[in-house]
Amino acid sequence: MRIANIYKQELKFYRRSTIIWMLVFALGVFGYLSLFNSFTQDVAATTKILEGMPPVVRAALGIQLKSFFSIFGFFGYLLTYFWMVGAVQASNLGIGINSKEVSGKTADFLLSKPVSRFKVLTSKLLAALTLIILTNIVFSLSSYFSALIFSKTSFDAKIFFLVCSSMFFVQLFFLVLGYLISVLVPKVKTVIAYSLPLVFGFFIFGLLDSVIGVGAMRYITPFKYFDVMYIIAHKSFEYEYLLVEAAVIVVCLIATYIIYLSKDIQAAA
Amino acid sequence: MNIIETKKLTKYYGDTLGIKDLDLDIQQGEIFGFIGPNGAGKSTTIRTLLGLIHPTAGSATIFGKDITKFGPEIKEEIGYLPSEVFYYDNMKAIDLLRYSGSFYKKDSKLIEKRIKELAKYLDLDLKRKIDDLSYGNKKKVGIIQGLLHEPKLIILDEPTGGLDPLMQQKFFDLLREENKKGVTILFSSHILNEVQKLCDRVAIIKDGKIIKVDSIRSLAENTHKRFMLETAVRVDKSRFTGIKGISDLVITDNSVSFLFRGHINEITKIIASLNLTNMLVEEPDLEEIFMHYYV
Repeated sequence: MRIANIYKQELKFYRRSTIIWMLVFALGVFGYLSLFNSFTQDVAATTKILEGMPPVVRAALGIQLKSFFSIFGFFGYLLTYFWMVGAVQASNLGIGINSKEVSGKTADFLLSKPVSRFKVLTSKLLAALTLIILTNIVFSLSSYFSALIFSKTSFDAKIFFLVCSSMFFVQLFFLVLGYLISVLVPKVKTVIAYSLPLVFGFFIFGLLDSVIGVGAMRYITPFKYFDVMYIIAHKSFEYEYLLVEAAVIVVCLIATYIIYLSKDIQAAA
Repeated sequence: MNIIETKKLTKYYGDTLGIKDLDLDIQQGEIFGFIGPNGAGKSTTIRTLLGLIHPTAGSATIFGKDITKFGPEIKEEIGYLPSEVFYYDNMKAIDLLRYSGSFYKKDSKLIEKRIKELAKYLDLDLKRKIDDLSYGNKKKVGIIQGLLHEPKLIILDEPTGGLDPLMQQKFFDLLREENKKGVTILFSSHILNEVQKLCDRVAIIKDGKIIKVDSIRSLAENTHKRFMLETAVRVDKSRFTGIKGISDLVITDNSVSFLFRGHINEITKIIASLNLTNMLVEEPDLEEIFMHYYV
């Protein structure tokens, strides 16, 4: 199966970097949740410190005093930043997995083989999706077990995994957006030059929403699609935003396929 | 049967012309040369045939199938070697070749056997990483990846760059062997000499248009050769007057130079009668052919 050989090869190409990303998430979440007890030892003192911060800064940082001292609140606070790191991984993958054939000048090799461009694009997308899913499994399990180790009180595992799965949806958004960029930009010399502005751009939109409270901003940035407190309270996501994300994904993928299937592959020399 | 057939094949890059109204018929089992200076449209033609770029107008078939509709099916039987080879640097040569082989329907054991045979013939160490290979050795990887599935059509786009003369000879021998098995070869080059060595027929392309399709024998007979003679004494101009096919005649005290087009025996008879100290016969470059013959 020719779709399987490209898929397998891409998994091999990205094996090492994905393991590094997995370690970053696992160690990061373990390190952060290990601080939970220190923060909750003296709730009053910590609350006083946090209250000393200007409300705008607290809002920008996503600190909610009511929930900060629960394992969900504590985890949810840093989850935004894990989303950001995850978004960088996903957009790097989305941009790089396809554009590397042009920047590495291997597009001639690949596309002179008996395989359609549709299959090339699909198999690479499936490989990227697999890597993202594997990263999320590691992220969710390491978060769950870290929470289990460091939380003194019991918590609902189902809700915890639901909260963790928000990472997957954020990454999916950036993966397909990156995939679109990979076919739009004629030659991507450095992936990071596109992924970082992309992620930070959307992150700043999110901060603006937190600070000035423009509701419409929530539709623009995936960093605002998932409200941890809402997930805990309703045991579900806000479907409105999931639909927005689904629409973005469908539009991006259709555009990516149309552009890639009709574009000329420039000579390598 | 025509293996490759193009009808009014045209490609523009925006406003820039790549190729225009290209009509080509390449028959089964022939080694077809495709020559022209850099930028003439050779690579554009090949890249269009391979579906790497899309034609602006016209049509092309390979094995009787439309290139725009049956790309993957057609490429099952095509081996392609570009002028510049680029592969995944971190892969070992053997892994790259196995990956290349995995695209074809052929039995993987047969492909593995073929890889080993070709590597042995070309003296390539398959265990080395692509990144560590010299350009010549990368080119060998390119040759193997183009031939490992025993294609019915081999498309070569200026393939000899980076190969030393000995390896070029081995490569040509390999191509001749494939051709004996009935494989059709499209050989693009800007070096007339190597096309003359290998090809049966040749098309000359200039500014995106085919200006001549001819057999290599006819081309050789009709192509100018530059003669540069050093003589012991000054040669009188009258020795060369009236000889058909001579142009650009320049005579100085001890040298004679001219371009000649025609039967080589006619001119060697004249040269044999001169008191020579040295003689050089050069193939004209393509520019000279265009200037003196086709334009």
